[in-house]
Amino acid sequence: RLSLVGTPKRNIQLSNIVEEVLFNGNSSLAESNRTNTPRRSRKINSTYDEDFICDEPKTPKRQKTSTSTPSSKSSAMTPTQKMKLIRSGAISAAIESRDNPLKRRKSDFEVARERLHVSAVPQSLPCREQEFDNIYTFLEGKLQDQCGGCMYVSGVPGTGKTATVTGVIRALKRDAELDIVPEFDYIEINGMRLTEPRQAYVQIYKQLTGKTVSWEHAHALLEKRFTTPGPRRQTTILLVDELDILCNRRQDVVYSLLDWPTKSTARLVVVTIANTMDLPERMLMSKVTSRLGLTRLTFQPYSHKQLQEIVTARLSGSEAFKGDAVQLVARKVAAVSGDARRALDICRRATEIAEETTKDKTVSMMHVQKALNEMIATLKVQAIKKCSKLEKLFLQAVAAEVARTGIEETTFLGVYTQLESIAAFMGVTVPVLGRALQICSKLGAERLLICEHSRTDIFMKILLNVSSDDIYFALQLKNN
Amino acid sequence: MSIANVLEIARKYPCREQIITELNDLIGSPSEPLPNAIYVYGHTGTGKTAIVTEFLQSLPIKSKILSCIECYTSKLLYEHVLNSFYSHTVSKSNNYTPFVKCESMHGFIESLRQLPADSSYIICLEDAERLRDMDINILPTVLRLQEMTGLNICTILISQLPFDKFYLKTGLVEVQTIFFPQYTKAETQTILGNDFVNVKKRLASKLDNNEWSKILDDLESDFYDNYLNIFLNVFYRACRDFPELRSISRDCFQVYVEPVLNGTIDRNDVSKLWRNISKPLSAALTAVYMRMDSAAENQSNKALEDNQSFKRISQSVELPYYAKYLLIAAYLASHNAANQDKRLFVKNHGKQKKRLQTVNAQAKVTEKMQTNLGPKSFTVDRLLAIFYAILDEKVGLTCNLLSQISSLVHLKFLSFVSGEGNLMEGSARLQCTVGLDFVSHIGRIVGFNVMQYLCDFM
Repeated sequence: RLSLVGTPKRNIQLSNIVEEVLFNGNSSLAESNRTNTPRRSRKINSTYDEDFICDEPKTPKRQKTSTSTPSSKSSAMTPTQKMKLIRSGAISAAIESRDNPLKRRKSDFEVARERLHVSAVPQSLPCREQEFDNIYTFLEGKLQDQCGGCMYVSGVPGTGKTATVTGVIRALKRDAELDIVPEFDYIEINGMRLTEPRQAYVQIYKQLTGKTVSWEHAHALLEKRFTTPGPRRQTTILLVDELDILCNRRQDVVYSLLDWPTKSTARLVVVTIANTMDLPERMLMSKVTSRLGLTRLTFQPYSHKQLQEIVTARLSGSEAFKGDAVQLVARKVAAVSGDARRALDICRRATEIAEETTKDKTVSMMHVQKALNEMIATLKVQAIKKCSKLEKLFLQAVAAEVARTGIEETTFLGVYTQLESIAAFMGVTVPVLGRALQICSKLGAERLLICEHSRTDIFMKILLNVSSDDIYFALQLKNN
Repeated sequence: MSIANVLEIARKYPCREQIITELNDLIGSPSEPLPNAIYVYGHTGTGKTAIVTEFLQSLPIKSKILSCIECYTSKLLYEHVLNSFYSHTVSKSNNYTPFVKCESMHGFIESLRQLPADSSYIICLEDAERLRDMDINILPTVLRLQEMTGLNICTILISQLPFDKFYLKTGLVEVQTIFFPQYTKAETQTILGNDFVNVKKRLASKLDNNEWSKILDDLESDFYDNYLNIFLNVFYRACRDFPELRSISRDCFQVYVEPVLNGTIDRNDVSKLWRNISKPLSAALTAVYMRMDSAAENQSNKALEDNQSFKRISQSVELPYYAKYLLIAAYLASHNAANQDKRLFVKNHGKQKKRLQTVNAQAKVTEKMQTNLGPKSFTVDRLLAIFYAILDEKVGLTCNLLSQISSLVHLKFLSFVSGEGNLMEGSARLQCTVGLDFVSHIGRIVGFNVMQYLCDFM
């Protein structure tokens, strides 16, 4: 088994061999692909130039590229040279760093906020032990058996799908270092980060070799890699997040991603993640669904107890939160979506409110209630209350017209007639038609109404975007 | 801008002092911050473009006046404005390249930002209603260029619509509006009266008789005012468009002044002059907005014929014999209900019962008449059936006949309502687009009474 263990360095060389074979051999496909590739525009925005910092040369190969260029200093490079280096992966993107990070002693609230941040994923996810075991067993089995396979993970947003899967990968990496499981490559793509489904090939190839090539070329190279037997090939785990974005009409990308694991030579394990449970049956072609297989896992939304546990686990040791405050958040969120991100965000907002308002060091129910009102409560009533007098009259007129006709869609002329009578009733001067159009378009821009472009004039169709109860409620409260 | 300049423009454009003062208050002093955007609107021929252009040219501010009809893509708009602001001229020497290639609003704003910030700029967009049909981001952005570029920049939009027609779904910022009202009768008379010197010069250059020119020179402005009073009494009700009124008044003045030059009528005899001009004036009234040169020239002697000149044009169309019958058939098909076809065109259709309902239906008011409601659509089969029914001789259905149908469509005497692609299948529907006068004229030529076959006139 030791012979199978490869370092990342060797990995790159391996992929280079693949490439050389392709170009030196008489593969006409690769040749034609190369000539057909449209050249990227050479223009680089000057502001981005500073962001790319030359890496320390690590491998002989890279050394060669950096010495072959006339000057290795980034400032002396022409944009074309720089682009070439970026595309070959010799230099990597870096962002400017601040001079020295803040080294102040953090307050209790700040510590709590840091821990409650969504990006601070804990080492072990609470309440997802079952799912963790499930995925771990699947992946470990595939690694040990040295074969390929697929898995489909689904669940509503914020239920810890990606966090669990990456947690499993981390655990497997650790185990691989301890030689419990064989070494493996890990590739991760996200459908939402691709401009087009076919860019998935480019991303996968980039993570395998570090090079950026056109998608046709990348597809040919990946096809070559996964369909021809390699003597020292190790298993590759491919995580595909947001699978539904990769589904275009032809579904060729999804098909090839799921077809490669069926090849005995590929040794590819694909874990796909999406939100809807019935995505394979609803959107995918049957041959794709068939390749996806029946190994599925559904992440249920968190219950309020689980959410409470997650938040308390994050806050372990800190006294910033009161127990019942956490419980309130958990119950409110679990009732709506069971989204852990939302619970964490509300808790963070509660700490901010508590820090602003009170001297004591804990977040109480009151602060949580305030944060909940901010983040969950509807703002439409507030918006209606803050409208001008004529805008309120106009909203009332729309509601009255809807009540009169019984149809939700009203025309401007009908609303204007209602507005005239309401204004006469209230003793207000009726606004002229042009002014009423302006009011209507302003309410439309605020999305209290849904209306058309005002060039349609009196035949403009108007829909009420708030419930008429909201209007009556908001206007009544003001009168009292 | 100095007071003298303002007065100069106000003198040039009489009866617009208030608007010119308002413009001067808004953008007159280049050192002061300009408003974000000004929306200028009013009817045609009220002097919007002329006054704003004149005003901008007299200002020491870089300005670009641009028509939105010209800028059929947003790229043209951006590049024209940038060329002008950077004083870049597109010529052969620079191979007609713009100052900077600018495809998007982002590039436009970026290029504007690099202009020197200590001077002021004005973009004036005519026919601004076209902005609504261009890229969705143009209108909201040009109204707030000031906050986007950080320059002392102002956009003037000129249009005929009120600003209420511009609001997008996502809302717009408020703009300063300036309304150009139409000239009143007295104002029109003042402005036309100022033109007397030019009218005299123009007329004198046309006349070769020296004696006449002398008489013409002697004419007072009172004489012209009298004429204008008569002229506007006839025309002001129909037309308030200043350029139109001016061109017609010049033409008619020639007719008015002729007897005075001849010496047949005394120049102070207003009532006689009025009797002389009233007929040509009412003839010219029917030709408003037509701008027919021939009509204007022949006004003096062929006034009555001019009245019908439009009709004459339509009747001078020469068509082949069968095409005439086809056109008549098409008119009958369009203006008769299909259920009347049997009664109209089949020889032995049996007796029709006279019921109260049909009698009532026939007592039509003019609004319900088929000829007034507009043409209905028909199929080619029905057209051919009516064609064979009204034609006495029997002709073969040759391809010449069918090609005449399609050439009638090409000549726009017929038009497709639907199914343009499947004419041969029979599901295409056509419509006759000519009027009753035209068709009855054609009927008279071929000796066919169209009225006899129209349900409306039975």
